[in-house]
Amino acid sequence: MQRFRFMRAQLSRRQFLKGVGGAGLAGMFGSTWSGASASAVDLPFVNGRREVATNFPQKGPMILQRTRPPLLETPFEVFDQGVFTPNDRFFVRWHLANIPTIIDPATFRLKIYGNVRQPVSLTLDELVRKFEPVEMAAVNQCSGNSRGFFSPRVAGGQWANGAMGNALWTGVSLREVLDRAGVNAGALQVRFRGLETGILPQTPNFMKSLTVEHARDGEVMIAYAMNGEPLPLLNGYPLRLIVPGWYSTYWIKMLDDIEVLDKPDDNFWMTKAYLIPDTPFADITPGQPDVKMVPINRMVPRSFFTNVQSGATLKIGKPTTVRGVAFGGDAGVAKVLFSDDAGGHWREARLGPDHGKYSFRQWDATLRPRSPGPQHLMIRAINTADVSQPERANWNAGGFMRNVVESVSIQGV
Amino acid sequence: MRRKSRRGGSVLAASAIAALLAVSAATGGSPTAGDSPPAKLTKEAPPKWAILSVELPVSNEIFPSGPGADVADSQCLICHSAGMVLRQPPLTKDQWRSEIQKMRSAYGALLPAEQVDALSEYLQRINGR
Repeated sequence: MQRFRFMRAQLSRRQFLKGVGGAGLAGMFGSTWSGASASAVDLPFVNGRREVATNFPQKGPMILQRTRPPLLETPFEVFDQGVFTPNDRFFVRWHLANIPTIIDPATFRLKIYGNVRQPVSLTLDELVRKFEPVEMAAVNQCSGNSRGFFSPRVAGGQWANGAMGNALWTGVSLREVLDRAGVNAGALQVRFRGLETGILPQTPNFMKSLTVEHARDGEVMIAYAMNGEPLPLLNGYPLRLIVPGWYSTYWIKMLDDIEVLDKPDDNFWMTKAYLIPDTPFADITPGQPDVKMVPINRMVPRSFFTNVQSGATLKIGKPTTVRGVAFGGDAGVAKVLFSDDAGGHWREARLGPDHGKYSFRQWDATLRPRSPGPQHLMIRAINTADVSQPERANWNAGGFMRNVVESVSIQGV
Repeated sequence: MRRKSRRGGSVLAASAIAALLAVSAATGGSPTAGDSPPAKLTKEAPPKWAILSVELPVSNEIFPSGPGADVADSQCLICHSAGMVLRQPPLTKDQWRSEIQKMRSAYGALLPAEQVDALSEYLQRINGR
């Protein structure tokens, strides 16, 4: 085992040297973030060392999960800056390696066709000028966010907690766009596809579907701006589907193709991939037989500490503000509960400004460390549908939907 | 108008994060600079559409040498970089086999059936339990 770990380190170093020209070699082998020279980070699970990449277009430093196709994780410190995740730090997740690297708005078209009265092809200018602009703050979270913490571990992108972000999305209502084409009576689903394709012709195109009812609920939107700017290419420039309250797998990037179906979508990405156990919190025991699987769908509430991490030393008796972000999943945040005694007692944290039910919401609480030694802090969100984060972590073979109560262990000194 | 990725952007962001990282333990005070919604684009101020052209980094990483590395290099790297494999948790040979079978049956990987066992063994050896 040691030998192979060593080989991995060698490989990583070689790649790292190619990437940034040899600066900061010492930082590479440092064990944690260490300021300006940080070029790697150790995510807190086995095989968790990751380079911090600075060479992706329109992106600042990002935790490198995969170069091709890109998987980039937001360093968790970014979430302490505020409830809106900057575009250049927003996580990135692509499925297929043929990603257009040039987008020409003059020739780009959004097509709506299939079971409609009149197929429509829209230019970006038409989309902006002919439809009422709408905006919404919403959390975009990968289905497999936090997969690296699953126990037992499961294969897939080994994210820590940074495969999520919150942005103010500006665009148009999907309902308005669908109504321009006129969805026929009897249509069942709406299927979305972007510009990415696989390398091999056999690789199934990445497509996701929503029911017509969901697609026309007035909340699902087609975004042309993210935090007031055009989307970075890696986040889906020029258009991205926004499905508030649902996992990111539905938020199709570089959206250019909308097909209205008169039967349920049987494509691979809806029927074989992104399936979860049809149980509360998608939770089963490993090896559990006869589990009914369904497509992943609504998000569940989560909350995090953003300004304190395990191992922090805090002065006994001195009031300290601990804070973080929470979101309700498919509903607003009703309250956030804070415990400074490993869950023995809970009290309500203060909540920051409300940017809408699908947004991150900041919380804070005052902590007075009581005695020398470890003290376990916990945070738990409860949404407006009265769904609370569970105290025990869920498990499923896909590594999806983790939302256990988060905890950190500080040292009183 | 042509917008390109600029290295300058990364450098600025790097120093910003360095400053941020200096504050890793709990600090007092109330949140936060990034807490107000950004300015929005509207009909009156629509996006200025421009050709966007970027260059994506290339991974030159190959698999650790040993029996089977040639298969991994020639097959896995067609669709994704090696890091995806090397950053997995240690998996059993059977788990690696099922990952390989998924690549073949779901994604159309060209790996012949008779090489599956050798590749599973290789992956278990470099990152297994």
